Amino acid sequence: MTAPREGFRRALAEHEDELLTCVHCGFCLPACPTYLRLGDEADSPRGRLHLMRAVAEGRLEPDSSAFDVHIDRCLGCRACEPVCPSGVPYGRLLEHARAVTRAHHRPSFVVAAVLAVMRRRTLTRLFGWAARALRGSGVAALLADLLPGRLATPFAMLAVTRPAVDTTSRTYDFAAAADRRPTVAILRGCVQAELFGHVGRATARVLRANGYGLSAAPGQGCCGALHAHAGDLDGARALARRNVDAFVESGAEYVVIDSAGCGAAMRDYGHLLEGDSRAEAARVLAARVRDVSELLAEAGPRPGAAITMRAAWDPPCHLVHAQGVDRAPRSVLDAVPGLEVVEAERATECCGGAGLYGLTHARLGNAIGDDKARAILATGADAVITANPGCQMQIAVRLRALGSRMPVRHLVEVLDESYAGRGDASANPEEHL
Amino acid sequence: MNATRPSPLLARGLEADLVRLLGRDAVLTGADRLLVYESDGLTRYRGAPAAVLLPGDTDGCAAAVALLHDAGVAVVARGAGTGLSGGAVPAEGAVIVGTARMNRILSIDATERRARVQPGVVNADLGRAARVQGMWYAPDPSSQSTCTLGGNVAENAGGPHCLKYGVTTRYVTALTVVGSGGRVCVFDRATTLHGALDVVGVFVGSEGCFGIATEIELALAPAPLEARTLLAAFDHTHEAGDAVTAILTTGLLPAALEIVDGATIRAVEASIYAAGYPLDAGAALVVEFDGAGPGLDDELNEAAELCRAAGARDVRLASTADGRAQLWAGRKKAFGAMGRIAPDLMVQDATVPRSRLAAVLRQVDEIAERHGLDVANVFHAGDGNLHPNLLFDRRDADQVERVERASAEIMRVCVDAGGTITGEHGVGLDKRGYMRLVCGADELAAMEDVRAAFDPAGRFNPGKVLPDRGEPIDRRERRESVGRAVELHDPADFTVTAAAEVPMHELQRTLAASGQWLAIDGPFVDDRSVGAVVAAGDDLALARSLGAVRDQVLGLTLLDGRGRVLELGGRVMKNVAGFDLTRLVCGSRGRLGRITRVVFRSWPLPREERFASLTTHDRPTLAAAIAALLAAPIVPLSVEVGGAASDTFEVLVRLGGSPAEVAHGAEVVERVLDRTVSWLDPTAGRERQRKLRRSVATAGARRVVTMRPSAGAFASTLDLLAAEPSARIWAIPDQGAAWVTGTGGGPSSDDTRAPEVVALETSVVGAFTPSESP
Repeated sequence: MTAPREGFRRALAEHEDELLTCVHCGFCLPACPTYLRLGDEADSPRGRLHLMRAVAEGRLEPDSSAFDVHIDRCLGCRACEPVCPSGVPYGRLLEHARAVTRAHHRPSFVVAAVLAVMRRRTLTRLFGWAARALRGSGVAALLADLLPGRLATPFAMLAVTRPAVDTTSRTYDFAAAADRRPTVAILRGCVQAELFGHVGRATARVLRANGYGLSAAPGQGCCGALHAHAGDLDGARALARRNVDAFVESGAEYVVIDSAGCGAAMRDYGHLLEGDSRAEAARVLAARVRDVSELLAEAGPRPGAAITMRAAWDPPCHLVHAQGVDRAPRSVLDAVPGLEVVEAERATECCGGAGLYGLTHARLGNAIGDDKARAILATGADAVITANPGCQMQIAVRLRALGSRMPVRHLVEVLDESYAGRGDASANPEEHL
Repeated sequence: MNATRPSPLLARGLEADLVRLLGRDAVLTGADRLLVYESDGLTRYRGAPAAVLLPGDTDGCAAAVALLHDAGVAVVARGAGTGLSGGAVPAEGAVIVGTARMNRILSIDATERRARVQPGVVNADLGRAARVQGMWYAPDPSSQSTCTLGGNVAENAGGPHCLKYGVTTRYVTALTVVGSGGRVCVFDRATTLHGALDVVGVFVGSEGCFGIATEIELALAPAPLEARTLLAAFDHTHEAGDAVTAILTTGLLPAALEIVDGATIRAVEASIYAAGYPLDAGAALVVEFDGAGPGLDDELNEAAELCRAAGARDVRLASTADGRAQLWAGRKKAFGAMGRIAPDLMVQDATVPRSRLAAVLRQVDEIAERHGLDVANVFHAGDGNLHPNLLFDRRDADQVERVERASAEIMRVCVDAGGTITGEHGVGLDKRGYMRLVCGADELAAMEDVRAAFDPAGRFNPGKVLPDRGEPIDRRERRESVGRAVELHDPADFTVTAAAEVPMHELQRTLAASGQWLAIDGPFVDDRSVGAVVAAGDDLALARSLGAVRDQVLGLTLLDGRGRVLELGGRVMKNVAGFDLTRLVCGSRGRLGRITRVVFRSWPLPREERFASLTTHDRPTLAAAIAALLAAPIVPLSVEVGGAASDTFEVLVRLGGSPAEVAHGAEVVERVLDRTVSWLDPTAGRERQRKLRRSVATAGARRVVTMRPSAGAFASTLDLLAAEPSARIWAIPDQGAAWVTGTGGGPSSDDTRAPEVVALETSVVGAFTPSESP
């Protein structure tokens, strides 16, 4: 027992210098959704870092359940990072801590299954096909209503991914009139590709409409974010290697991502693949990762047709906290005339979706999500706009749980609709993708 | 396998009782999961609790404390764990009562300008909630985004803006406290006007040794509508210090005066809070002015000129909220940013008289250099409050020891300069030993006895604040003998020492000669001596604008009922070294002993003053005028009312400050009163004040009436008074205090103290006298 324990301890001890940058000032406490709700230091970023440091120092056994429970209960929203004056790389340390706990505590069946499915493209596609069938036939919605409590959750999440409007035949291309912009390759991802294909297609359309060239990256797959967050760093690395190869191959100038969680993960590829044969390529690629809103903001973006609507912009944690992308989405929304954008109270707080959190910590995740949903309802908005599939599902599910049918849409969907409404939208009926 | 083991320190039966009481999720046990509670913001000290309780309200907290105290278990209160003196590190076997789930703002009353909060409310959250109603809560410790008001009360927290607005104790108006054995007491400062001791005053800053505050009532003020900030870069710290002196001695009263030194600048600039401070500067000075707006730019420009004259090479001004936040960001997040340049940090905290700041800083730098340590200085220069941050790596035992030695030397240097060992972080665990530098055996014994009055069994935060008995006293000779009746210190210090028998008007005259004054005013002050004013503590006309009498007292000498000569407090602006016994003496009316000497803080004389007078026969008109004045977005120096129902009433509003500020105040007064007022110059105004106050000042029989500090409560008091034709009243409605002369029915005095509070006061008095004599 001692030898492997020592190994895991060493894993954290290697990061001791990063752990030491925490001066215990506690500025992270009010930013942490779990601390705010539970009031327990052990469920705060400072507390978790304290536990990690105790493991690194050999004062706490890496297999202790205290370590497991509190490291596991973190949403990984990284709201603590922007408020940390010492710049503790919390998200990265959390992944290493999870790698330690994972070695001692087998992940739940659901988590293990999801990670396995996302690791293999065939399984991912199979899952996607089945899920779309459940969704399209209305069975998902039915099960969400019929099944009790926790069992209903996955079906509810699935049901709300159904696009409100069918946009498959939507076409427009303003490229002829636009400045030529760099060629970009879109990360399709896993959940995003299988359940939010309409978002991916909208991303392609709005990028082209703003002058970007698109290139394919055929070998790509899941970004590995869920694996890294769950402490399956080896699994994450394998997926990262595949994506590094695919996107280097594509020759695109930027990797563009319309799922904030994936963007944050890919921006961290340099660290993830440290010491790997692809380390240098990963670092270079990571520096070329952009959220779709950043590229659109850089392009202007060109204005669309008016959409008269009051919308609550809910910035995903992994966009605003992890990637520091704050203003770009607002300037994208500014390109839509008539759109009144509001922010709910505590808009930058996590929605409780947090990857698989809704499945692993349903009660707390729902409580956090319900607070989010109530705050959004209080704005009197007609719709919620966000930029991450997990957030879209969670917010929609929690809104429905409170009896609201308020639509939850991705940023690019709204811009896409605005563009499609322009008088010149059907001028070039070329079908993309 | 480890986490579920019950802590060996908490008896099983007790744990089960606590779980029954509070619920499983509010009782945390198990050594592993309690590890995170072993330290607060000062990680040098560690000690894990036997359990952590997270009650949600006063009742839960009281019942839990009762169980624990019955079982002989000590209790340590913990807020956000941001304290920097190890105050929340539990003694062996102690249980932590965390306030994180007592985090509700119970009420914000706009008409009374008061907030009631649970102790776990974060300082900045109250600030935000108050702002929505146009008010603010002034004390702003640098950790305000995370620290809790309960912790602020326990530590008597300060902050950059305390220069102008004072520290936490000035704002606490009432407390609900879970005391010894779980007994719940309500302490209300209004009762001091009825002869009660200022129990709230001594509780604030007691570092969890007197009990746990579970509800806190705080005074709010109108939010300053505008602020202007400047950042001046200097080559040397002493130049920045000269600029501070120049600014203060010209009569400007900034809201904040903060210095960061070169090492701090470099740490901050390496962090995400980079504020664009010049990297090669030796020091940067942040100066802020706030108020209604008019005149702020002039003041800022004047300060900028003074900075340049003192050698500033670069002065930046900011008037937008964003720009100001940028200039501040580097200062406010300096502590966290230190993590960038060293693994560990010893944040020191001491206060010295302002005029000694530059000399002390030089000595601090020398000490650090002698011990081969890096030091980064951050300080509230306006208050003389310095924070030398010693950088080290705790894995290096030798370095740790050098930090220890350097800290001790720094403390000694500060005390020798007439300062004290802590200005705002508290004594906690860290500075117990240094208490012997500032207190003699008698003072320590008095503090111990007062503590025992609150907590006879010693179950609240044992092992904190006071040194162990029998440790040798190391206090130097008292240098401040009462040689002269009035001793004005360096003008830049804004402190004055006076013998108790000196008449107040004489003290004011002496101060006026150097452009300063004492912010104490009321009906009785003119005929009283210094000692009498402090012993009575009821001259409160300026309480809202500049603080009560107790807020002007920095230190005093008391010949107590046991014949001891107690030197309490000091002569620095901020002082949290030990329990705040000066507050007990203020307003104690001789019950504790005889005051022989008082050290006051003084203020720059307002550059301009005006009085507005409004006379009316009509009570509703009067009540409306008071309501309008209390709701106005300005804080006049004083608002007082005098008169009689059978005659006329007069409202006197005293405005003071810069000419532009006074002009603006006058405009606001005319606007909100919506009628003609007559304006008086300072001489005529003071004459009118004397006349208005004469009836209560000279009457033999007068009684105090206290009420809620709202216009509505004042109006009801007036209504009651109407039934008393011979009665005359003089009142300060913003304090909810009135003095009535004449006989008959009418408003009655309402001393609301519960028997247990009276009993507690009796034991507190017993700490100073063998037995209380009537």
